[in-house]
Amino acid sequence: MSLTDTHYQELEAIVGKRNISRDPAVLDGYRYNLSHTAIHLGPHFDVLTPRGAAVLLPGNTEEVQAIVKFCNRHKIKFKPSSTFWSAQGYPNDNETIVLDMRRMDRILEIDEKNMVAVVEPGVIGATLQAETMKRGLNCHIQGSGCSCSILAGATAWLGSGPGNLYGGWQYENLLGTEWVLPTGEILRTGSLVNDASAWYCGEGPGPSMRGVLRGMFGTKGSLGVFTKCAVKLHAWPGPQKLPVYGKAPAYTTKLPANFRAYTLGFPDWKSWADTAHMLWDNGIGYTGHRQFNFLGRDLKWAMIQILTDPSKTISDLEELMKEPGYAEANQSMKIDFQLIVTGMTQRDFDWQEETLNEILSITGGYIVECMETEHLRNYTLLYLLRLGHKALNLVYGGGYDGNFGMINSIDFGAQRAEEAGAFKREWEEKGQIVQAGGDCMMGPIGGQGGGGTGLWENFTCFDSSDKESTDGALAFFDASFAYTKEKGWSGCGFEKLNSLARGYDGYETPKEIRDAGHAHAPQPAIFRYQNKVYQAVNPLDLGDTYYERLDDQQ
Amino acid sequence: MDLKDFSKEIERCSACSYCKWIPFDQVQSIRYAKNCPSIDYFNFNNYSARGRYLTSRSVLRDQVELTEEVMDIAHTCLTCGACDVACKISRYNLEPLEMTKALKAELVQKGVFPEPQKALLENLKKELNIFGEDRKTRGAWAEGLGLKDLSTEKADVVFHAGCSYSYQNELSGTVRTAVQILKQSGVDFGIMGNAEMCCGARINSMGHTEAYEKLAKANIKAWKKAGVTTIVTACSDGYHAFKRLYPELGGDFIVYHIVEYIDQLIADGKLKFTKEVPLTVTYHDPCHLGRQGEEYEKWDGKEVKFLNQIVMHEPKKPRYNGSNGIYDEPRRILASIPGVKLQEMERIREYSYCCGAGGGARESYPEYSGWVANERLHEAADTGAEALVTACPWCKSNFSDAQKGQGSMEIVDILDLVQRAL
Repeated sequence: MSLTDTHYQELEAIVGKRNISRDPAVLDGYRYNLSHTAIHLGPHFDVLTPRGAAVLLPGNTEEVQAIVKFCNRHKIKFKPSSTFWSAQGYPNDNETIVLDMRRMDRILEIDEKNMVAVVEPGVIGATLQAETMKRGLNCHIQGSGCSCSILAGATAWLGSGPGNLYGGWQYENLLGTEWVLPTGEILRTGSLVNDASAWYCGEGPGPSMRGVLRGMFGTKGSLGVFTKCAVKLHAWPGPQKLPVYGKAPAYTTKLPANFRAYTLGFPDWKSWADTAHMLWDNGIGYTGHRQFNFLGRDLKWAMIQILTDPSKTISDLEELMKEPGYAEANQSMKIDFQLIVTGMTQRDFDWQEETLNEILSITGGYIVECMETEHLRNYTLLYLLRLGHKALNLVYGGGYDGNFGMINSIDFGAQRAEEAGAFKREWEEKGQIVQAGGDCMMGPIGGQGGGGTGLWENFTCFDSSDKESTDGALAFFDASFAYTKEKGWSGCGFEKLNSLARGYDGYETPKEIRDAGHAHAPQPAIFRYQNKVYQAVNPLDLGDTYYERLDDQQ
Repeated sequence: MDLKDFSKEIERCSACSYCKWIPFDQVQSIRYAKNCPSIDYFNFNNYSARGRYLTSRSVLRDQVELTEEVMDIAHTCLTCGACDVACKISRYNLEPLEMTKALKAELVQKGVFPEPQKALLENLKKELNIFGEDRKTRGAWAEGLGLKDLSTEKADVVFHAGCSYSYQNELSGTVRTAVQILKQSGVDFGIMGNAEMCCGARINSMGHTEAYEKLAKANIKAWKKAGVTTIVTACSDGYHAFKRLYPELGGDFIVYHIVEYIDQLIADGKLKFTKEVPLTVTYHDPCHLGRQGEEYEKWDGKEVKFLNQIVMHEPKKPRYNGSNGIYDEPRRILASIPGVKLQEMERIREYSYCCGAGGGARESYPEYSGWVANERLHEAADTGAEALVTACPWCKSNFSDAQKGQGSMEIVDILDLVQRAL
C-alpha cells in the first residue's frame, strides 16, 4: 500500500517531526548506488536501490513497536538498518518505510564479571571496543569493520572477521535479544524469557532460538527489528585505551611486550595451511588474517608503503613498484597471513612466541623480513585490532566485491587459492578490473569457535564511475560464479550471494528466479525451514527477499 | 571546481559512513567518537558527506526539486573538514569537503541559500565587512599604537586583523596584544587600517564564490601595491583563506598565524613569560588553523588510470589529509606559560570537533550552531579544565554565545593567555 498523508501524520506522531521525512532529496540519501559494490550482488552501473516511501529515525523500542504495528495495520513493508553498509540494508521496493536506527546508539550495560555487553543497533565496533577495553575486555569486530553495527553483525549477517581466533563469529557471540517481531509483538529471547535483566544466554525459549531468529546468514533486516542484544565479550590483556601515534592515515600503536604483530610467509599453500592448523591445535594467536593481500599479490608491498607513509599517495604506486628489491619483498609475502600474538601474561606470550617459532620450523614458514620494522608491526597491530580501515577495499577505484568465497576447512581454500587467482588473472588482462596479480584472496585463518574453518574472498576492484569497468566486473563475477558452480566449490557462489534478493534494476528479484536458485542450492531444506519461520513471525509478509526462503512444494 | 566536475567522484563514494566518525583508530569512547556536527544534529544520512554525495547526484541529474530541505542539507555543512580527514584514512580519490563546497556553490548559483546570507552579502558589498559595520571605523582598534598604515605606506609584512577582531569590542584587547608581540619581535609591519577588507573566507564557505573572489582579488591587489610579501593574522579563518585559497587567485604570499610567530619568539628566547597563570586549560583546534591550515600545493594535472582501473593523478596530486596543520605551536605556547596545565580533549588535532561557527551556520542556523558549540563545551568540561583556549575569534565567539553567560568554562583566546603571562 502507498503511504498517504494520513499515514504520514500517524507516523510523525510516533517519532516526532524531526525524525521523519519523505522529501525526495532525503529519501535519495537512503538509496544505495549499485555501481560500486553491493556485497555479492552486482555491480550494476548507474542503478540505485528504490527510493522508499519515508525514512524514520526511531529513538526507542516503543517507537519501533508503534511503527511496526502501524505497518501491520496498513500492510506497509519496512526495512531497518543500523549503518547502511551494504545494499542488503536498503529497501527493494518504493513503498517501503526505511528505519534508520542510528538514534538508538547506547551501550546499555557492560557486565564485566559475566563478560557481556548489551547494546542498541547504532553501537558500532569501534565504540564498543573502546568502552570494553577500559574494563579489560574486548568485543569481536566483524570483517565489515568497526564502522558497522555490533547488533547487525550478530543478528543480521555472519560476523566473520580477523578476530575470529579470539571471538569466533559474531553470531556465536549473540546472547539475549529484544526483538520487535514483524507483527509488532516484542519477543525477548534467551535467558531474558525468565528474567528481564538476564542477558547471558542466547538460547530459548524452546530449541535454539538464536538459530531460529537468525536463520542461515542472519535476517538481513527482513524479519522485524532487533532493538537490543547482548554479545559475549572476550579477554583483553592490553591497556585501557589504545595509544595511537603518527599522522593520518598512517596511525600506529605501541602496546606492551605481551603483544606482537607478525607477517608470516610460506613457501607453498600446504605450509600455510599446516601452520594454521598447528596454531589452532596449540591455541596460539589472538587475531589471524590474510589481510594485506586484499590489495593484490603484485601490489601489496607498494600499497603497504603508501598506507604507512602520510606523504605518499596512490599516485606513488608505479614508482614504488619499480624500486630495487620490490619484487623480492613482494615475493617474500606471496603466500602469507598476519598474526597477532597476545599473551594473557608475559609468560603466556613468551610460550606462544616460542611455540610459533617451533611451528614455523616444522612447516617451513618464516617471518617476513620487510614487515619487521617497528613501524609496520605497530601499524599492523592497530589495523587488525581496531579494524578501522575497511573502506580500503575501495581504495583503487571506488568499486570492489569479493568472489571465490569459500567457507570451508582451511585446506579447502588453500588448495584452490592458486586456481582462483589464475582464473582472475586472465580476467584482469582484459582490462576492466584492476590488475593486481590475480590472487587477492583474504580472510581469517580461524572460524567458528575460533578454529576449524576459514573464509576466503578474492577481492576484485574496479572503477565504479566507469561503465566499461563496472560491466566488466559484473561479467567477471558471472564467470567466476559459473566456474565455481561447475567445480562444485562453494554452493551458490559467494559473488552472487545476494542476487537472489535484488535484481539488476535494484528491485526485488522475481519469485520464480528466487525459488529456482534456492531449490538448486546444496541444502534447500534450510530455505524451506526459514520459510516456516518467516510465515510464523511475519504473516503479512512485511519483510523483503533478503531473508531467503523456499515454499515446501518447490 | 564546479559540482559537475565531481560527477565521477559521486559514483565512487561507497557510502561507508567513515565520514560520520573520527578516524576509528582514534576512538577512545562512545561519547566522543563522532565527528560531523550536521549529522549529529539532524541525523538523516543526507546531513553527512556520504549523503551529500547522493544529494549532489540528485541535484546534478535534476531528480529532486531544490526544496528548503535540499538547501538545509547543503548549507548546514560547517565546512569543518572532519569528514575529509576521516574519508582519507582509506580513500585516495575522494574530496568530500571540496565536493560539498561545490554543492553549496551550485545551489547559490541557482539562488538557493538561507535568507540571512543575503544580509551578509549586502554588508560585504556596502561596508566590506561581514557585520555591516561602518568601514570607516575598521582600523579603530589600532588607535594609539602607532602602526604603519599600508594603504599609504609600504612594508614587507601586513597584519590582517579580520572582521571579528576589528569590530567586536571585546576582542580589541586581544588583537592589540597580537600587534604588540609583532612589534616586540622587531618586524617591519603595518596594517591596512580602515582600508582593510574582509578576507571572504566565510562567504566562500557558504558557497558565494563570486563575492569571495572579488574580495580576495581586491585584497591581493592592495597588498601587492603596498609591497607586502608576508601576511600575519590572528584569525584562523583568514589564515586558511590566505594560505590555502588565495594562491589559486595569484596571492602567493608567505602566511603566518600569530601563534607561529609567538612560538618562534619563545624558541628564540625573544619572548619570555614573567607571570604565572595558574589555570588548567584545554585547547580547541580551530578547523581552519588545524586540518585546513596545511600548506597549499599547486597542482595542475589530470586523472589517469594505472593497471587498468586504479584511479590516480598525473602529476601526483597533493593530498590534504589534515595532519600537517598548526597543532604543535599553540600547544608549545601553552606549555611555556608558567602555571598553565593542558588537559587534552578526546577529539583533537586533525580529528577535532568543530565549534559550530563555520559554513554560515552561525548566521543561518543559530540554534544548530549553538548546539554544536555546547557539544564541544561538554567535551571540554569533561577534561576537568577551567578554561577552553582557542586561536580563532569565531570559535571564541561561538563558544561564548552558546554559554549565554551561564557557563562555568572560561573561553580564552590564546593571545589573552599570553598577555596574562607577560
